[in-house]
Amino acid sequence: MFERHPTADRLASFGRAKLSRQQNREVVRHLLTGCERCARALAAHALPGLGGAPGPRPGDYDAAFAKARQSFLWSQQEHLDEQQNALALLQALESHPFDRQVLLLMNSRRFWTWPLCCLLLDRCHELGFKDPGRALDFARLGVRLSEQLSVEAYGDRRIADLKARTWAALANAQRIDADFRAAEQSFLRSERSLRKGTGDPLEKARVLLLKASLSSDQRRFPEAIKLLDRVLVIARRNGDEPLVGKALIKKGIVYGISGRTDEAIDCLRLGVRGVDPKSEPRLVVAARHNLIVYLIEGGQLQEAVTLLDATRPLYEEMGDRMNLIRLQWLEGKIAQSRGRLSDAEALFRSVGAALAEQGLGYDAALLALDLAGVYARQGRTEEMRALAAEMLPSFQARQVHREALAALIVFQKAAQMDRVTLGLVQELSDYLRQCRKNPGVRFRDSI
Amino acid sequence: MTYLQQPELQDSLNQLLLASRPRLERVLRHFEIPPEDAEDILQDAQLTLLYKWEQIRSPESWLVGTLKKKCIMYWRKRRSSLCDAVDTAILDLVATPVAPDQEKAELSFDLNRVLGNLSARCRSLLKLRYGLGYGPSEVAEQMGYRLSSIRKVTNRCLAALTRQLVAVGFHREPQDD
Repeated sequence: MFERHPTADRLASFGRAKLSRQQNREVVRHLLTGCERCARALAAHALPGLGGAPGPRPGDYDAAFAKARQSFLWSQQEHLDEQQNALALLQALESHPFDRQVLLLMNSRRFWTWPLCCLLLDRCHELGFKDPGRALDFARLGVRLSEQLSVEAYGDRRIADLKARTWAALANAQRIDADFRAAEQSFLRSERSLRKGTGDPLEKARVLLLKASLSSDQRRFPEAIKLLDRVLVIARRNGDEPLVGKALIKKGIVYGISGRTDEAIDCLRLGVRGVDPKSEPRLVVAARHNLIVYLIEGGQLQEAVTLLDATRPLYEEMGDRMNLIRLQWLEGKIAQSRGRLSDAEALFRSVGAALAEQGLGYDAALLALDLAGVYARQGRTEEMRALAAEMLPSFQARQVHREALAALIVFQKAAQMDRVTLGLVQELSDYLRQCRKNPGVRFRDSI
Repeated sequence: MTYLQQPELQDSLNQLLLASRPRLERVLRHFEIPPEDAEDILQDAQLTLLYKWEQIRSPESWLVGTLKKKCIMYWRKRRSSLCDAVDTAILDLVATPVAPDQEKAELSFDLNRVLGNLSARCRSLLKLRYGLGYGPSEVAEQMGYRLSSIRKVTNRCLAALTRQLVAVGFHREPQDD
């Protein structure tokens, strides 16, 4: 049986591993006899670079390009039609309560489109910090929808990429909602999907970028920096400048939170240059805001003022209340640093009222400490005592966690004894910032 | 999601595909992709581009990079299928219970000759696998490998064996250990 040479067709099919088990056995048995002629003929059909056949010539791919283009045009039209309908589908979906939305997504095929899934993720991203509860709902819908998409229509690997994106969006929404354990689980699912996906490195980089935020919130700063460095390598290698910018901004923020102000300033300076304010206004405002804060803390007031002036139109363009409050807060900090204490006090009071109106207890605590800093510098012990007395009940009412309350009691006692110093105010302010999402950090441990 | 308008998007995509064709063709030729398989690879890369369009900042670079990756994956998959085919065939051959003694002896002779051209490590490993019928965990134990790494080592040896069979006849391979 094996003395006979296999035909050229059979060798070609063997090279593509497309023979039956029996035929396969026959060819391998023949090759084991050491038939050089068949080995060389096979090399032409099996693997490149083995000296078998000459490589493809110009023109050999014309048919492949023509056919691929034809099929691309067909898919393109389908995709564009789906894209046009996506917004109407989203609106139809949004008119129902969440439970009904889930039912509709699971049971109605008209919703099972790629662009609708992307729109759900966009809504989740937009709502992120503004309405974490709804952002979570949109992420959950995205996850559900990605499970329904047709493998025939979109391809299994592409769907796996999209699933990775939906799980990462859900993880990020869970992080914002301070549910870190759930976020970790969702990131695991996201990474599992990535492994089944197209292998697009940028897809992976975007997941890692979000994961870095989770590590940072969990105060695993070295891990967050490591993840961001991986994002930077991938983004640079693929020429994705906006992603480089985002990673640098996030790295700057992580450095800032971990108290490495100089590195934070360097990264944020570089990062804001890479991101287009028109396409990512929210991110640019957040980055510049943080940069201004660190510049003020680092005593680089002039640059902070110049940057604030340049950013003011963006804050106003964004128009949302929180950003305008943050702008005023920064102006107060600059006034304070420049020694214009009465201006600072007026600005802080106005910000305090706005924060109270928004029900943002924690931010109000941080703001009150800035105001305390003004009083400490002016030696206004009476007002300090009154402020400290106001702060505690207001935080108790807002369910600020126990450790933070304990720190505020320390502050109140110091105020009662006229022993509040700028150092204590700064220490408490740093502590409250650090333990915002980590109630376990103790006041004096955090220094 | 700020989608481009339909005609605008169609124009951008079509221009991109035309402009990038020379680079894409160079990639296909560099990787010696058989023309009959190029269509699937191209189509897959282009469709992924279509679905991820809003996320991609540098479409031509992305498309070329993605095509390269797909070409690498194509050969990796083909190599792995071929190695599996060779491995399965040899396991079937050595396990055939009713083969006459002479056939068995010839098979053993041929197999030993091929294995003799591989590195000492691969020779030992494949002799245990084909000659003594050892499973992966037994091979790992016998050769002092961790179970977690034996699969990788076996795959490397199977690749060397396949190269011997399909390309270079029985010329001796460089010894790596």
